[in-house]
Amino acid sequence: MAGGWQWFHRLGSPKWFYEKTTRWLPWLWGAMALFLTVGLVWALLFLPEDYQQGHTSRILVVHVAVAGASLSFFPLMAVAGTVTLVWRMKLADMVARNAAPLGAWFSFLTLATGSIWGSVSWGTWWEWTDSRLVSMLFQFFLLLGVISLRAAIENTETAARACALLSIVGCINVVVIKYSVDWWNTLHQPSSPISMEVGSPNGPEFWVATVVMIVAVYLFLAVSLILATRNEILQRESGAQWVRELALEAG
Amino acid sequence: MSQASAAAAFIATLRRDLLISLKRRNDILNPFMFFIIVVSLFPIGVSPDSAMLRQIAAGVIWIAVLLASMLSMDGLYRSDYEDGTLEQLLLSSMPLYLLVFAKNIAHWLVSGLPVILVSPLLAYMLALPAEGYLTLVASLLLGTPVVGMLGSIAVALTVGLGSRGLILAVITVPMSVPVLIFGTLAVQNALAGGLPLGYLALLGAMLALTICLAPVATAAALRISVN
Amino acid sequence: MLEVRALNCERNDRLLFRDLSFTLEAGQVLQVKGGNGSGKTTLLRIICGLNDSYRGELFWHGAPLGEQRDAFYAGLLYIGHRVAVNRVLSPLENLRWSSRLHHPADDGRIRGALGQIGLAGYEDSPCYSLSAGQYQRVSLARLLLHGGDLWVLDEPFTTLDTRGVALLENLVGRHAESGGAVLITTHHKLTLPGLRALTLGVAR
Repeated sequence: MAGGWQWFHRLGSPKWFYEKTTRWLPWLWGAMALFLTVGLVWALLFLPEDYQQGHTSRILVVHVAVAGASLSFFPLMAVAGTVTLVWRMKLADMVARNAAPLGAWFSFLTLATGSIWGSVSWGTWWEWTDSRLVSMLFQFFLLLGVISLRAAIENTETAARACALLSIVGCINVVVIKYSVDWWNTLHQPSSPISMEVGSPNGPEFWVATVVMIVAVYLFLAVSLILATRNEILQRESGAQWVRELALEAG
Repeated sequence: MSQASAAAAFIATLRRDLLISLKRRNDILNPFMFFIIVVSLFPIGVSPDSAMLRQIAAGVIWIAVLLASMLSMDGLYRSDYEDGTLEQLLLSSMPLYLLVFAKNIAHWLVSGLPVILVSPLLAYMLALPAEGYLTLVASLLLGTPVVGMLGSIAVALTVGLGSRGLILAVITVPMSVPVLIFGTLAVQNALAGGLPLGYLALLGAMLALTICLAPVATAAALRISVN
Repeated sequence: MLEVRALNCERNDRLLFRDLSFTLEAGQVLQVKGGNGSGKTTLLRIICGLNDSYRGELFWHGAPLGEQRDAFYAGLLYIGHRVAVNRVLSPLENLRWSSRLHHPADDGRIRGALGQIGLAGYEDSPCYSLSAGQYQRVSLARLLLHGGDLWVLDEPFTTLDTRGVALLENLVGRHAESGGAVLITTHHKLTLPGLRALTLGVAR
C-alpha cells in the first residue's frame, strides 16, 4: 500500500497535472481554435453542396466528428477507472468524474445533430431502424447511470471506486449493446420505409473537412476535460499548501 | 475440527438464502404479482385484438420480467448489509465471488424461476402462437440469470446508500438491452417458422460470459460498498 | 502475531490517528480505548481489511498481511457492531451457515455452544423474537465454534447482562491462555490478568 502511495505522489499528483496543463493549455486552445475555425468555415461555406442531400450534408461534418468523439468516453472512463481501482490515483478519478457528464453531452449532441440531419434526409427526427442512433441512445442512458451513481454516494472515495467499477462494466456492456443493436437492426431493416442509400455523401473534400473537424472536436474534448479537471483539483485540494500559494499569487 | 471447504460454504450460503426467502415469502410474492399485473395491463392499454397482441406478446413478457426483476433485486444484499452478514462474507477465507454466485443462484431460484414457470400461461393470454412457447421459456431460462447477475452488480454498488430510489433500475435496465433483443428475436424467429438455435446460443454465450465476470464484479462492488 | 506499523488514518479530512504502532502476540489481550469518534471501530476495520483508506503497514506472523489475506482470514474471528445474525433465521440456522464459512460444526456442537452461552431452549426460535442481549449472545456462540487465533471484538459487551459480561470475559481469558490473541474495544472495565491497553485520541 505504501509503495502505491509513493508512486501516486510522483506520477499522478494533481499538482503535477495542474502545473503541466498550465503550460499546455495555451497551445491546446490555439490548436483547437485553428482546427475548429478551418473545419467550420470549410464545412459551412466552402464545401460543395452534396448532389443528393444539398446543404444538409454540412451538418454531417459536425455529426460524424462528435459521434466519433463520444465513442471514446466509455473506454476513457474504463481506463481511468482501472487506474483508480488498482493504483488509487486520485487524478484518474477527477478525470473520470468530469468525463461522465461531458460524455453525456457529447452523446446528446450526437443524437441531436443526427436527428437534425435525419429530419431532412429521412423526413423524420427519430428513426429506430438506424442502429447507430439507437446504440448511442443507450450509451447516453448508461452515462446518465454513472452520473446518478456518483451523485448518490456521499463519500468521495467510495463514489470514485463505485463509478470506476461501473464504468468498466459499462464499457464492456456498450460494446455488447452496439453489436446486439446492429444485429437487431439488420433484421428489421426490410420493413423500414427508409432507404439507407441516402447515407454519407462521398467525395474527398467532405472527408478531409470531416477529419479536420474530428481533430477539432477531440481538441475541444481535451480542453474541456482539462479545464474541468483543473477546477476539480482546486476544489478537492483546496486545503493543500500549493493551492493556497496559487490563490495568494492570483490575489 | 475439520477445515471448511469452498464447496461446503457455497452450499451453506445457497441453503441459507433459500431458507430466508422461504420465511419471507412476501418479498418473492410481490414482484411475482407485479409481473402478472404488468402483463395484464397491455391488452387493456394497447389493444385486446389478438392479432395485435400476438405480435407484442414476447416483448411484453420480456419487459415485464425485466421490471419485476428490478423490484425483486432491490433487497438482494440489503438485510445482509444491515445486520453485518456482508462483513462476515468479506472476511471469510472462501472466495467471495463464489459466495456471491451462490446468493445469485438462490435469488434466481426464488424470483426468476416462478416467473418463467408462469410465462406460458401469460403467453397464452396474450395469444402467442403455440410454436413460440418453448422458445420463450428457453430464452427466459437463459436470459433472466444474466439480468439477475448484472443487477447484482448494481445492487452491490448501491447497497450502502440510505435512499437509492430508482437508481438501481436506471443503471441496470440499459445494461439488459442485449438480453431483451436476443430474447425477443428468438421468439419472433420461432414464430416465423425458423429454428432459433442461433439466438439461444447467443443468449447462452452471454450467460457464460456473465457467470465468469459478474460475480467477480459484484464481489469487488461489495468490498467498495462496505468500506 | 499481529504487528501494526506507522498507521495513519484520516476520515473526512480529519486525522484519526497518526504513526500508530503496536504489536499483539499470542496470549495477549489488547483493549482499545478512546472516546466516541476517536477511531476505535475504524482501527479494527482497518486491521480486518474492511477499510483500506489508510497509510501504514500491517504484518501477520511477520509477513505483510496484504500478501496472505486468506491465511489471515482463516485465523481471524471478527464480531462487529452489527453482529451478522439474521433476524428471520433461528440461532441454530444462523450458526450452521457461519460455521460452514470457518470450521464446519454439526448440530450437536452448535446446540452445545448455544447452551453454554445461555441460549438453551431458544435454538429454534427466530432471532427477531429474542431480546437484544440474547441476540448478541448468538454471535458470541461463534467464539466457541469457529476457532480462529485472533479475535477482533467491537463493543461486544453493550447489551449483555452481568452474567453475560462474566461469561464473555471468561471466554476471552481462556482464549488468551490457550495461545490466542484478542483485540477488543469496550468502555467496560475488564478484569483480566496481563491486560494491555491502547488509548486512541490522546495525540490530538
